[in-house]
Amino acid sequence: MSEAERRRNPEPAFVVRGLCKTYATEAGAVQALRGVDLEIERGETLVLLGPSGSGKSTLLNILGGLDTASSGSARFHDFELNGATPARLTQYRRRSVGFIFQFFNLVPSLTARENVALITEIAENPMSPEEALAMVGLSDRMDHFPAQLSGGQQQRVAVARAIAKRPELLLCDEPTGSLDSESGVQVLEAIAEVAKDVNATTVIVSHNTGIAAMADRVIRFRDGRITDITTNPHKIAPREMSW
Amino acid sequence: MRPSPLDRKLARDLWRMRWQVLAIALLIACGVSVAVMSFSAMRALTQAQEAFYRDTRFADVFAQAKRAPISRVRDLAKIEGVTAVDATILQSGLMDVPGLSRPAIARVISLPDDPDRCLNCIRMVRGRMPDPGRTDEAVALDAFLNAAHVRLGDRLSATIGGRSVSFTIVGAAMSPEYVYVPAPESFMPDDAHQAVLWAPRPAVERAGGMSGAFNSVALALAPGASAASVMRDVDRLLAPYGGRLAYARKDQPSHAFLTAELKELSTSAAILPPIFLIVAAALVHLVVTRLVDAEREQIGLLKAFGYRDREAASNYLRLAAAIGAVGALGGGLVGAGLGAAIVDLYREYFRFPDLRVEFSWAAFAGATVVSVAAALAGSLAAVRRAVALSPAVAMQPPRPQAFHRGWLDLVLRGSSVDQSTRMIFRNLERFPARGLLTGVGLASSLALLVGTQFLFDSLDLVIERSYFRIQRWSDAVSFVEPRAVDAVAGVGREPGVFAAEPIRVVAARLKSGARQETTRIIGLDPASTLHRPLDGLDRPVPLVGRGLVLSEALAARLGLKPGEGVWTEVIDGRAPRALLPVTGLARDYAGFAAYMDRRELNRLMGEGDVVSGAELLVAPDERTAFYRGIEATPQIIGASSRDDTVASWRQVMAESFLVTLTFYLGFAGAIAFGVAYNMCRISLLERGRDLATLRVLGFGRAACAYILAGELAILALAAIPVGVLGGYGLAHGLVAAYSRDDVRMPAVIEPGSYGVAIGAYLIAVALAGVLVVRRIWGFDLVAVLKTRE
Repeated sequence: MSEAERRRNPEPAFVVRGLCKTYATEAGAVQALRGVDLEIERGETLVLLGPSGSGKSTLLNILGGLDTASSGSARFHDFELNGATPARLTQYRRRSVGFIFQFFNLVPSLTARENVALITEIAENPMSPEEALAMVGLSDRMDHFPAQLSGGQQQRVAVARAIAKRPELLLCDEPTGSLDSESGVQVLEAIAEVAKDVNATTVIVSHNTGIAAMADRVIRFRDGRITDITTNPHKIAPREMSW
Repeated sequence: MRPSPLDRKLARDLWRMRWQVLAIALLIACGVSVAVMSFSAMRALTQAQEAFYRDTRFADVFAQAKRAPISRVRDLAKIEGVTAVDATILQSGLMDVPGLSRPAIARVISLPDDPDRCLNCIRMVRGRMPDPGRTDEAVALDAFLNAAHVRLGDRLSATIGGRSVSFTIVGAAMSPEYVYVPAPESFMPDDAHQAVLWAPRPAVERAGGMSGAFNSVALALAPGASAASVMRDVDRLLAPYGGRLAYARKDQPSHAFLTAELKELSTSAAILPPIFLIVAAALVHLVVTRLVDAEREQIGLLKAFGYRDREAASNYLRLAAAIGAVGALGGGLVGAGLGAAIVDLYREYFRFPDLRVEFSWAAFAGATVVSVAAALAGSLAAVRRAVALSPAVAMQPPRPQAFHRGWLDLVLRGSSVDQSTRMIFRNLERFPARGLLTGVGLASSLALLVGTQFLFDSLDLVIERSYFRIQRWSDAVSFVEPRAVDAVAGVGREPGVFAAEPIRVVAARLKSGARQETTRIIGLDPASTLHRPLDGLDRPVPLVGRGLVLSEALAARLGLKPGEGVWTEVIDGRAPRALLPVTGLARDYAGFAAYMDRRELNRLMGEGDVVSGAELLVAPDERTAFYRGIEATPQIIGASSRDDTVASWRQVMAESFLVTLTFYLGFAGAIAFGVAYNMCRISLLERGRDLATLRVLGFGRAACAYILAGELAILALAAIPVGVLGGYGLAHGLVAAYSRDDVRMPAVIEPGSYGVAIGAYLIAVALAGVLVVRRIWGFDLVAVLKTRE
């Protein structure tokens, strides 16, 4: 994101302050997040990197309203996620968040078009399923069931499903984790393009450091803390990446 | 020995799936408990019956006469196949029992001179035998004493054969002839009004003027002897003495009722358990199939490690066997309890000295084997699938389940059906066998509910038609001997009587071709209003000329239609024979009756204008005075009250039918619940990930619950018409299975009963649905992001 763009969006979309998360396990309490501070701008693309158990997925879950923090604050515009009721969080996910999962999570009994329609039916200002699928290059596969699509195609349907509601926030959890390199690039390409089209803030969690090249900022995690935030001066398009 | 890892896996699988396992085991337990209860009760009744009959030397053939000289007993004993003869005197009359509003029907029977050579001997329960030298002491039936609150030492008076006699009750006894004592006009028990007394022979002789004579005889036969041929000889020998038709033990009222009860028990044991086991096997099939699908990777892993196909698949067989065994064990325990409860109930009706609860180990063992076999059979298809899995295929994750557009898409094309609803329909279309099994299971539970509700409706109809439309009298009296029609006017002058109509009843044998039936011909005046035969549409069937109006059941047995002739041999009086036309058919529900114009019947009998009884309307507030009046009328030997009869029907309905219906309700509810719960659980297992994904994507819990429960709701609703039709069929089947000579239950189901049945069914299904759907509230939304299908 350029300085000019940053100036156009003076208010950050997300403000995270002192966020902690502790899980109680049989072996005792596990601190997954130990005081995370972060501001995320509208339209920005963030890539969260770190080893397993470093806290990146926990942060993603809290940002997505799937999990609640033990302490601290996570504010999306005026909406404080921490302490919100389950019903409010459901509303938040429905209105503002698009999710992309590692294992696609498509409904096998619905066609590509119907999987997208599943979301457009409950969204406030969605694009049509056809439009969303066209954006990910699947106009010719709209009436296929998931079992009739390749892994990359299934994930692109999932991308279309995520952006069809024009979300402000697009959360991607290991979106290429189940795909080969070529399909992975295609999916990232789709994510980058459609996120730009709907001006979505994109947060991508990955083990794959190669993905960092497409980010505005790269945030590294270790032991529940942010260890490093790097601004990427020369972000590149996914089609130029390989791993 | 330490359990193997596979044993531990089995134990943990069972624990993890405990609610599904229990829901199926519950169905098996229902089936097993019915079998164990029925066989245990049958065993208890049969053993008590056999022991009692053996100890008291219950006779094989019975006959009555008006007055036969005691010397004929020798001739009866000479009949081929007869091993013992016991001739007694049985006198009937009305007895005033303090505390009872209506007189009891008294039967006074002579005690044998030689107690060691008696047939149908009595068994003393309390007190002592009468002093042989005294004519005012008697032993009474224990059930009567208890029901009428008569104590030993009380003195009771009866009017017998026109004379007033009194007895001091010195003992209480049981008798194989009176194990069950039905009231004369119904088959319901009425112990308080059935006073059976045994007194020394001289006392009974004196009361009935029967010195040197007998009027009732019982015969014991040698093993293998022909009862039919003996009965023919008995009829021949007793005919000159007013002999009535001899009858075999199977037609003895008490024995016949007991036999009918045993038949009902064996019918229950034959009909119900298979329904439960079939539904349970279907559920085992669904559950184990789903489990094998979910564990294909584990199965492949075991095979990759070197486990043989048999070993890798055996866990699923053992799981099914465990479900069967758990159900059988639970069913055995419940069945033992139910068996004890039903035997307790039987003690109220069947008076055996020694009716003990007998747990039928044979039934339990048999039911256990069948239950385990049913569960194993249910699992076979899934186990075969596990055996067929190759290690390589099993190690690969399954692709998303393949769905296709089907006929539902054609139906839904162009309609604005939302995607959630589309998911429901596609799933139904994708798994038609599962939907069918679930639907059939649900329909069978509803069928059981609807089909058993008819018991109450049917009895209501029988009571309404029998006691308020066909017979409209409030009281009836019968005379010792046919009397001139003026006697009816005499009874009509008793206090409280405002209508009295004559009735003439004779026993007759009706023959049509090779078929014959023994029945009563009821002679009524054509203008009679208190008693008239009605057809199936409640229209009176006119009595025309010499014509007979037959009950539909009797006509069916004889294969007769209106317009045809029937050979009629009257057994009473001078025993005339005639070919009479059948002029109409009447619908009734108990016994086999034929109706005729009373004057024509009297003409056939060659008698004047006589009656054998009167049917009356008595003002309710003057009944006590009325009964006092008829007690003092020597010629009256029987009195029935509609209100008492209907009350005893209602009481039996309240006690025994309510228990039966509660069981059926519970059983059917268990089926509906078990099927719905398992179907919904399997759906949740299969679609849990989809639903959790939808939750992540912003769907509310209610929207997810709709998708999960929608399939069940559609199947449950679709099953309603099938279940209602099935219930209607089941009611007819049960009517056929339970029908007996003495009672024919019509298969009627009132709209309200459909409502009750469907309501109970929907509650059971909804409960199962709610129990599963509430799990949506506990979804781990984070886990779903990381879960591969």
